[in-house]
Amino acid sequence: MGELEDRRTAVSEARFESLLDTAADGIIVIDDTGRMLVFNKICERLFGYTAQEAIGQNVSLIMPPEFSTYHDRFMHNYHRTGERRIIGIGREVSGMHRDGTVFPLELSVGEAKTTDGRQYIGVLRDLRSRRAVEQRVSQLQAQVVHMTRLSAMDEMGAAMAHELNQPLTALLLYLQAVARQVKACHADAKPPSDKMLDVLDKAVLEAERASHIVQRMRQMVEKRDPERATVDLREVVNEALDLSEFVAQGATVTIRRVFGMAPIHVDADATQIQQIILNLLRNALEVAKESEERWVKVSIGSDDRSAFVSVTDSGPGFSEEVGKSLFRTFSTTKKSGMGLGLAISRAIAQNHGGDLMADPGGNGQGATFTLMLPMHRSDEAEDDTWG
Amino acid sequence: MYIIVEDDPSVADALESLLSGAGLPVRVFASAEDFIHSASLTPDDTMIVDLGLPGMSGGELVRHLEKAGATPKVIAISGKSSRTIARETEGLSDVKILRKPPAADWLEAITA
Repeated sequence: MGELEDRRTAVSEARFESLLDTAADGIIVIDDTGRMLVFNKICERLFGYTAQEAIGQNVSLIMPPEFSTYHDRFMHNYHRTGERRIIGIGREVSGMHRDGTVFPLELSVGEAKTTDGRQYIGVLRDLRSRRAVEQRVSQLQAQVVHMTRLSAMDEMGAAMAHELNQPLTALLLYLQAVARQVKACHADAKPPSDKMLDVLDKAVLEAERASHIVQRMRQMVEKRDPERATVDLREVVNEALDLSEFVAQGATVTIRRVFGMAPIHVDADATQIQQIILNLLRNALEVAKESEERWVKVSIGSDDRSAFVSVTDSGPGFSEEVGKSLFRTFSTTKKSGMGLGLAISRAIAQNHGGDLMADPGGNGQGATFTLMLPMHRSDEAEDDTWG
Repeated sequence: MYIIVEDDPSVADALESLLSGAGLPVRVFASAEDFIHSASLTPDDTMIVDLGLPGMSGGELVRHLEKAGATPKVIAISGKSSRTIARETEGLSDVKILRKPPAADWLEAITA
């Protein structure tokens, strides 16, 4: 009988061990003095202590110092009053790694009354990855604002034409006025008057006004110097697609991603590349929305020298005529205007030593826009860093 | 008398320079309202009016004048698209349009 009991205990202990070690969360059991009795594998990773080192020590070992004093007080309080502050509730706490790194944890605590007295089981989840996701979302939101600049640029094209109109009109009229007066003086064999100089001065002012407008535009386009880094094109594109899906929540167009397994390294300003991808995607989504199949395919590939990102839509393609004027500034087939977007996108691509190409499709094939970028040229020493 | 109704001071001034430089009598108003409050037209006048005035638009001003029985020679200037111009001048009789920025000599166009 006793033997059977022992065997059962052994089996259940083995199960318990295996459960602890396969759990995705950190698990710690402490006794009523705060001494750690169990410290599973995940905890070893989280805190940098082996189970052997941790077991038997006070749980304050894995807390930042300012928390450990609270912990003793909490436990003391609970024992005295029975008032539950954390048991069965769970809360966000801070943990401290052996190397002193403090990080956020979600802690749930259960209580077990055993023959050895009260024990507490803590389940710990590292919140850093969740934090990272939250941060990512807020970064994405900031980027949305940044990216909308590109679409704003299309509208800006129209606004700029409007704004430039006034100084250009005034400038040309001043010049027409002066030209007439000079001619008149000539005819009468009189020297040019001061009045003409006044008018010329005004003309110069108007020309300056026009050039200020252009400068302002340029500043908006060239807000930042490109920040080149060696990046994995798949990640850069993925982020842009995530962003676009995030922005177009509830859209009915399917975005298909055709990516390979191997990283594709290019030297590029990730944000600018994403602007191109977003711009292509925006155009493709708009076309695909009107089509029967409603999909957009984004594929990434490379050869020895170049990396490619192709964006294909399920639309009908476009005519050769449209293709010819596609990249011209201000050219657009849509009311909202995409001409400036494509022209800028191509300029960015060329600035990276690449190009932006369009395949019109047709005959049941949608249009494909392909961004080409030169592959990162690595010497071997650098290769090692891409483990 | 040539009457300029234009809200952009530079454009108004340049237009004034062009016309007065040619010895023509000119008065400038910055808005349709200014003009209505302080001046009246004779049939010999030529009015050069920006269609895109703030407040009462150029088109409305011309319509207002036509209703009041005054039909001066009207030259409308605009930097907008031809479609917008067509919409803004709809129903107006005999309005000459000059588009900004000028593609030809405006003095000739205005005095023609």
